[in-house]
Amino acid sequence: MDRPKQLPAFFFPSLQSEERTYWRPSVDVYRTPNGWLLKFDLAGVRPEDVHVEVQGCLIRVSGVRRDLLAEEAGSYYSMEISYNRFERTISLPCEFANPHVSLEGRDGILIVRVSEG
Amino acid sequence: MSNSEDVQVLPLLPLKNSVLFPNLLMPLSVGRPSSRAAVEAVLATEGKEMVIVAQRDSSKEEPQFEDLYNIGTRAIIKKMARQSENHMELIVLGVERVVILRLEQSQPYLTARVRPYPLPDEKTPEVQALHRAVIELAGRAIQLAQPSLPVEVSQFLSSTDDPVRLAYLLGSMMSLELSKEQALLEAATPGEALRMMHKFLTNEIQVLELRNKIASEAQSEMTKQQREYFLRQQLRAIQQELGEKDPQQAEVEMLRERLEKLQLPEEVAKEAQRELSRLERLPPGAPDYQVIRTYLDYVVELPWNTTTEDNLDLARARQVLDEDHFDLKEVKERILEHLGVLKLNPEAKAPILCFFGPPGVGKTSLGQSIARALGRKFERMSLGGLHDEAELRGHRRTYIGAMPGRIIQAIRRGGSKNPVLMLDEVDKLGRDFRGDPAAALLEILDPEQNKSFRDNYLDLPFDLSQVFFITTANTLDTIPRPLLDRMEVLRLPGYSEEEKIQIANRYLIPRQLKEAGLTPEQCSFSDDTLRTIISRYTREAGLRQLERNIGRVARKVALRYAEGKTEPVAVRPDDLPEMLGPYVFSKEELRKELPPGVATGLAWTETGGDVLYVEATLLPGGKGLTITGQLGEVMQESARAAQSYIWSHAEEFGIDAAVFKDSGLHIHVPAGAIPKDGPSAGITMATAMASLYMQAPARPDTAMTGEITLTGLVLPVGGIKEKVLAARRAGVTRIILPRANEKDLPDLPDEVRRDIEFIFAERIEDVLAAAVPALAEKAQALKTG
Repeated sequence: MDRPKQLPAFFFPSLQSEERTYWRPSVDVYRTPNGWLLKFDLAGVRPEDVHVEVQGCLIRVSGVRRDLLAEEAGSYYSMEISYNRFERTISLPCEFANPHVSLEGRDGILIVRVSEG
Repeated sequence: MSNSEDVQVLPLLPLKNSVLFPNLLMPLSVGRPSSRAAVEAVLATEGKEMVIVAQRDSSKEEPQFEDLYNIGTRAIIKKMARQSENHMELIVLGVERVVILRLEQSQPYLTARVRPYPLPDEKTPEVQALHRAVIELAGRAIQLAQPSLPVEVSQFLSSTDDPVRLAYLLGSMMSLELSKEQALLEAATPGEALRMMHKFLTNEIQVLELRNKIASEAQSEMTKQQREYFLRQQLRAIQQELGEKDPQQAEVEMLRERLEKLQLPEEVAKEAQRELSRLERLPPGAPDYQVIRTYLDYVVELPWNTTTEDNLDLARARQVLDEDHFDLKEVKERILEHLGVLKLNPEAKAPILCFFGPPGVGKTSLGQSIARALGRKFERMSLGGLHDEAELRGHRRTYIGAMPGRIIQAIRRGGSKNPVLMLDEVDKLGRDFRGDPAAALLEILDPEQNKSFRDNYLDLPFDLSQVFFITTANTLDTIPRPLLDRMEVLRLPGYSEEEKIQIANRYLIPRQLKEAGLTPEQCSFSDDTLRTIISRYTREAGLRQLERNIGRVARKVALRYAEGKTEPVAVRPDDLPEMLGPYVFSKEELRKELPPGVATGLAWTETGGDVLYVEATLLPGGKGLTITGQLGEVMQESARAAQSYIWSHAEEFGIDAAVFKDSGLHIHVPAGAIPKDGPSAGITMATAMASLYMQAPARPDTAMTGEITLTGLVLPVGGIKEKVLAARRAGVTRIILPRANEKDLPDLPDEVRRDIEFIFAERIEDVLAAAVPALAEKAQALKTG
């Protein structure tokens, strides 16, 4: 196993190192008349593997993406999708005294609606 | 980054040369079959997890479980791409540190049971202090390594609030050795990891500072050169502005002017112009510039057309030669002959002479004297020990530091193309794998070839035909035949005692007195004194030891004057032991009486002549002929010829033939340690044998030299003058010589001819008759009968 020599040239900042040990799904945030709508790109994640937590205005989505086709697909030719643990925390610019959260999965997108309950 | 799952079984991926730290991404290139199998298996799992662990010895291609460290990093494959069948590229992300508990499987790839091994949380003031110190050091190191990096990098470093992550990040960025990286990974506490990092960074900063220092020194050196170049350009511009020529142009102009003035031979002029135009085109800094410059200087300085006017006044030349040297008639005649020829034919080729004789007879000074008599320049070079042909002919200009050969150098020093050029010690030329200088001399000394002598350096023909070459040698035997053939050999034989006294009075004493600061009135030598010095303190054919001893006496006398003496000193023979120490040589006493079987012979040596005795004795009961005394082949054969002659004429001599059968014969020639050779002792050995067999002693006052043949003929030999002088020195009064050597007598000084009775022999019977009184009658009868 050789590490290619060119990459970690001394003190050349590999800013990717900011990565956590988990991957961060992309998220779109919408303002709605009575609250917020968040779309998490979680294609291929089983609903039971997703965990949503709301704490005031902080919304944390975490879970695991398992490679479902791992066994039947044969061997990889290349791989770009991140697997295993993910986590994303979104801090919304508001405060709900009594937030109401609803979840909906559609075509691989997790939709989170937050409104004053 | 805590992980709730405890023990897991995961594939192991051994890593060469490097350690993967948690929280960091690392690109990997996978080629080894076992590693590929492990990666394939990991990719087929849902979580893409494995453990990456460094191998202790990176040279191992197929590391076993024991070859791995037991602390590694759990990692997730983030991205993967196949480059070819046997090669894939990965990007892996370190998740957490794990300790490897136990091997689970070793084929087709390693899997092991691992447990997370998190670092304890430590928030002590010490850790905080270390954290800050490391951030600061890292900032400095970054400044030193890459001053151009954006400030954000160091900002980014300081924003990392987790000290362990900071240490890992820095550890992966620095090019640390594997063992250090692994140690960092294994650090038990955040404090330990930070301390380690602190040490690494301090060291790194030192190295970087040193590197920057070296770099900046090199830089300043560069800028100095640039500055100089810039200033030179300015200088040139100023000179042009002032109407001055730039130095290079001036140099070229000067050379061109000199070349034009010289009226060189056509080929030379063409070549020189070509080189000059090359010089013009070169920048003065080019390495070739100096080479061409020196070459042209040389060409310009050589005396292509300069000759000195010969002094053709014969009377004056004769006077000069006589002033400088005593006697040496033959040589002086030859010089004057050449002058005569030059008078009639100014284009005559100069002769090539070879002065041959023992050391100290004045060969070198004679050369100087000839130059003076002719009015030519004198140049001398010694060939003794010269063994490289290039010394004579020079090196080609392509070599660094090439120079012309010694011949051309001597011509340049002399400054004329017709000097007297003396090549000393031509008999002592060496020869080895670098070439044979004698072969180069063949060209130089051949009047047919040396009209256009080509030195390797000049590569232009130079006319040596007007150079008056004189070579000197102590012996002709070591001079290659073809070389000897080109030269006119003139012998300078040794001097007799009388001649030495003459020379001492005329040249040596005045010179040594002058050296010592004395006037001739203050110190005088009688002839007896000189004779004593010659016989008791010197043994030579030349004059060096004599002159040295006169010098020593003169200095002793000078000391007396310096101490206050005023009256003149006449050095008497009795004073010599006090001044020069005890006698060095005992006089060569002749043996007063010779027993039967001993005869007196004469030998020629490089330093003059010598008297030697041939001793013969019978070995009753022995057999054959024993010969001792370091005799060479020729001399041994001559001994055998002598014996055969006596044996075959035993009856006529009245020798009992039985003695040849019953007894062996031993011939010895002292001194035993000095090698001797040559046929000239033939008659001496025959005489010794005849004297032995007849039991009739030979005359002690009679010496002899000559070659013997089987039929008893006496053949001529060389070196007569030296031999006769040596015999006289030793007190011999009768000398038997071959008849054919009668012609050599006029060479001898008058007083020698007066003192010595010469007997000329044609046959061995003549010799025996003259040498052994008891045989006179018998021998005479034998000859006539």
